Amino acid sequence: MFMSLYLPISGNAINMLLLFGLGGIVGFLSGLFGVGGGFLMTPLLIMVGIPSTVAAASDSNQIVAASTSGTYAHYRLGNVDFKMGFLLLIGGVVGGTLGVQLIKILRAMGNADFVIKITYVIMLGVIGFYMFVESLQSMRQQVPEVRVAAPSKPSVYARLVQALPWQMKFDKSGVTLSALMPLVLGIFVGILAAIMGVGGGFIMVPVMVYLLRMPMHVVVGTSLFQILFTCINVTFMQAISNHTVDLVLALILLLGSTLGAQFGARISRRLKGDQLKILLASIVLLVMVQILVGLVWPPSILLGFKGGH
Amino acid sequence: MRDAVESGLTRVFIAAVFLILSLAGSVRAEAVTVKARPSTVEISSFYQGHEITIIGAIPAGHQAVAEVVGPVGQEHLMRKGRVGPLWLNVGEITVSGAPSLYFALSTTPDLLTGASPWGFQALMQHLSLAGKVHQNEMAKFTEQFLELKKSENLYAVWPGGLKTKPADDGRLEVTGKFWLPANVKPDTYKVCLTAVLDGKAVDQHCSNLSVQMVGFPALLMSLAYEHAALYGILAVVIAILTGFIMGYLFKGGGGH
Repeated sequence: MFMSLYLPISGNAINMLLLFGLGGIVGFLSGLFGVGGGFLMTPLLIMVGIPSTVAAASDSNQIVAASTSGTYAHYRLGNVDFKMGFLLLIGGVVGGTLGVQLIKILRAMGNADFVIKITYVIMLGVIGFYMFVESLQSMRQQVPEVRVAAPSKPSVYARLVQALPWQMKFDKSGVTLSALMPLVLGIFVGILAAIMGVGGGFIMVPVMVYLLRMPMHVVVGTSLFQILFTCINVTFMQAISNHTVDLVLALILLLGSTLGAQFGARISRRLKGDQLKILLASIVLLVMVQILVGLVWPPSILLGFKGGH
Repeated sequence: MRDAVESGLTRVFIAAVFLILSLAGSVRAEAVTVKARPSTVEISSFYQGHEITIIGAIPAGHQAVAEVVGPVGQEHLMRKGRVGPLWLNVGEITVSGAPSLYFALSTTPDLLTGASPWGFQALMQHLSLAGKVHQNEMAKFTEQFLELKKSENLYAVWPGGLKTKPADDGRLEVTGKFWLPANVKPDTYKVCLTAVLDGKAVDQHCSNLSVQMVGFPALLMSLAYEHAALYGILAVVIAILTGFIMGYLFKGGGGH
């Protein structure tokens, strides 16, 4: 094995260039779409031989670096709505705590694995399919990409949103919403993220685009900002309670991913919102299909190590 | 009186037989020797496994089996099963009596196959399964456990993997090589060489193979387990700093 490095927490030697490359690809997508990339990186790391628990925890650590780099890049470009980000973050922390408790109950009942995998498939499937179809229609009709203004005919959803208390103006996003919206949606995303063990970027992005009606370029920067804090919390908690953060692994991944994130952030400014959305939708659908095939295809060995190793 | 004398002579005779047998035993124990080269393997930053050579000697006219065995413990595993159209973890199975590592090499292939006292068939008899497994599934899941360990490169047999040649002292010199995989845990492993005559073990000698973590990996492990909070903070701070540095470097590099 050329250029192999021993990863003490993972307990195995892995090719450095392979890890660097994986980090680069995922970091590129992170900068491009404003997603943490956890839903991509964790399965990829497991495929190259990292125990799943170490993969998830070390991935959070590298997302801290990638999202710091990405948030910084987007902040310089004026793409971070801090006000919205903080409200989503508060909701996300509350939701994450609720989600962890829910998983504990499900584990005790013995069906956590089923719930986690089905949640993955359904969420990735629904979000990917909806984004794909919506972006395709939008591109065909050549509708202008920026959709800051409220719809001309207020829908039931828009009227409901306007009727909520604590209306607040979000200058950077150019929307006026009830503060309850980002808080409640943050809780929802936090619960899902805890169940799925990811930062939640790929759920947060569609929530911001479709439910909070934020423009795509602000969505990316704000999502990265929120993911940064979520992953700081996860990294610290995993290090203390499970000892599964592999710093060496994270360092190689983050060198690749921070480089990738910079390229991603630059290219995201050159692509139109719909092009970005259709690309993200395709990747989300591909991951969904991969997980589904893994669930349906009979495994070669009917036993696996508990906790991933 | 005569009975007492006979009884005394019998005791002396039995004691003499025991003495001779025990002396013969100690002579035989020296007839088989083994050591691993290197006998200590250090896991440092660029460790990617290590080739180990087993060097030993057995009495002339004998066959040999070498076994490398890790500490015996319990393995907690998840059983996969079908739930509707999906394959999911459906319950926990605990395997007891399983060594963490099992390698076996022999001078002739038949010593590690079939109903031999060495190799996988023999190992399976030492394993016991508990948890979500029915009595009629025991054999199937014991085999699945071996498959899992083989897929991790932690269990392997090499029938015919030992070579012999006459030694200067009249015995047979035995050598064999195996690759200690990168995912082996730091521990002390037993390397045992058994002299075999007509398919039966006549003598055995064991030595230790020590695997130790050193240098940076050892430092990181002690930080992660003994100073977990500090390690967590360090991991976060390093990640944030790297993110900023990379962001700053790219700003300077231009290109946009």
